[in-house]
Amino acid sequence: MIADLWQAQLTFGLFVFLLTPGFGLSPGLQRVRLLVFLAIGYIPIAGLSLADYMRSFTGDLAITSLVALAYWTAVRTGFAPRQPRAKTLQIVAVMACLALFLYPATMGLSYLDPYRLGYQPRPLILFVGLLTLALLALQNRLGACMLALATLAFSVGLKSATNYWDYLIDPFIALYSCFALIGYAISRLWRNGSAKRRDALSSQPG
Amino acid sequence: MSVWFAGSREGAADVQIRASRYDAIAGEWGPELILATRESTSTAIQRHIRKLGNPVIALAPDDRLWLFYVSVSIGGWAGSAINAMYSDDFGENWSPPKQLVTTPFLNISTLVRNAPVFHRDGTIGLPVYHEFLGKFAEYLYISPDGEVLDKSRISKGKHSLQPTVVPTSEYGALALLRYAGETHHKVLASRTEDAGQSWSEPYPIEPANPNSSLAAIATPNDGLLVALNDLEDGRFRLRLMGSDEGLSFWKPVIDLDESPDPLGNPFSREVYSDIIGDKFQSSSGPRRIGLLSDFLANLDQRVCSMHGCDFEYEYPYFIKSSDGLYHLVYSWNNTFIKHVSFNDSWLEAQL
Repeated sequence: MIADLWQAQLTFGLFVFLLTPGFGLSPGLQRVRLLVFLAIGYIPIAGLSLADYMRSFTGDLAITSLVALAYWTAVRTGFAPRQPRAKTLQIVAVMACLALFLYPATMGLSYLDPYRLGYQPRPLILFVGLLTLALLALQNRLGACMLALATLAFSVGLKSATNYWDYLIDPFIALYSCFALIGYAISRLWRNGSAKRRDALSSQPG
Repeated sequence: MSVWFAGSREGAADVQIRASRYDAIAGEWGPELILATRESTSTAIQRHIRKLGNPVIALAPDDRLWLFYVSVSIGGWAGSAINAMYSDDFGENWSPPKQLVTTPFLNISTLVRNAPVFHRDGTIGLPVYHEFLGKFAEYLYISPDGEVLDKSRISKGKHSLQPTVVPTSEYGALALLRYAGETHHKVLASRTEDAGQSWSEPYPIEPANPNSSLAAIATPNDGLLVALNDLEDGRFRLRLMGSDEGLSFWKPVIDLDESPDPLGNPFSREVYSDIIGDKFQSSSGPRRIGLLSDFLANLDQRVCSMHGCDFEYEYPYFIKSSDGLYHLVYSWNNTFIKHVSFNDSWLEAQL
């Protein structure tokens, strides 16, 4: 429970920091801005902190989301370099696949409930372990770190949730990943179409 | 002890989870207690709470008294999550509520309505249902400390909710479900033979169901006793029905409460006041007769609308106490909770 509240404060600070413009501030001032937002999360209104209000509507984020938010914050504050787009695509592909496996069936479409796999999660942990190794093999340290920390947090019971899925995925990273993947597919198709049109034009006899 | 939610209207901010204690010797209910409010729940779980509802109370074999109820932070009932609190001194003092995490989608859309089943290994089986996008029932396994351990799906789709689960053997149980579809208007039944790990596909059975909640309990002869609105439309009659374990034979036991109009048509306010006044007096016991004039003066939107005034008897909840008595409580015209009790001898005489 205490970990949940601490997580709520962290989520609030990172979320607001990333959603608000950086105003072209230096990395040092960005760090100050982050500290200010982390502090704002503690402001109480009618018995609850601002972070608690946000948590009321967003639920507790998955550890993977927290790691991703922390990474983007590190990039903006100059602590980490931006990773290549291909590696980000690998991560969103993994998260989108997990989301598509989990969410539709969880809504009661069938008797199969993949969320149940998270209560006795050994097979799921094994599968996620393989995904982590695959991401490591692709030198995708952020992706591997997201999955590994989620598993580690589950093993020590960092959140009040008892289901492994709640550490792996939440609707926000799921939607982000699906839309990012769709966006990538559309831009890829568009580029291919443009290239073909250019080829067709250049091959016409002058 | 009995629990209910009460306030200015369903879903209002002033709704509280209230309770009353029954004195079996005096045969009377004690004063109304407040077990949970929006504020107490919000403080305990550190979330904004918009409304409360659907409390369920049950005594475990280890004498721990459990209270489950739903709270909503955002949206309607589809945004519900279940909270659990317990008392180790029969309701004198309570633990702070703890929110159960039961779905991966923002932990919304799990509601409780009927009695839990206490398993021999100490775990609790809690029948729950979902109302977000689909309407379907599940069975939660909860540890003796209130942690969600597992869950199984009783039904799928959009047409079944509010399961009531009755153990029938060491590993067998029967679930009866409220039907929310438009096809057959019948109660649905599903069975498990592996202590709730898996359930058969729900199928319609004989009693009608007007999309209203029902409650069931086992009887000593391996039969079943069900309190329900055995109607295709409306909730103007609450009936007790008996059945065999195979659900092939059904017999009405008694109509607990009903509208004088066999079709449940509404009454004018004047006629309604006379009828419900008589019902109030016959149901209330001598201690509450003095409340009659206040009750009649405050007949409001809970029972009367533009088309007239209706009778509604709904949301039954069944237990069998350790002294062998059956206790049934239900909502009486959206204004009171009515308690009915009987024993096996009375039941045998009816069947």
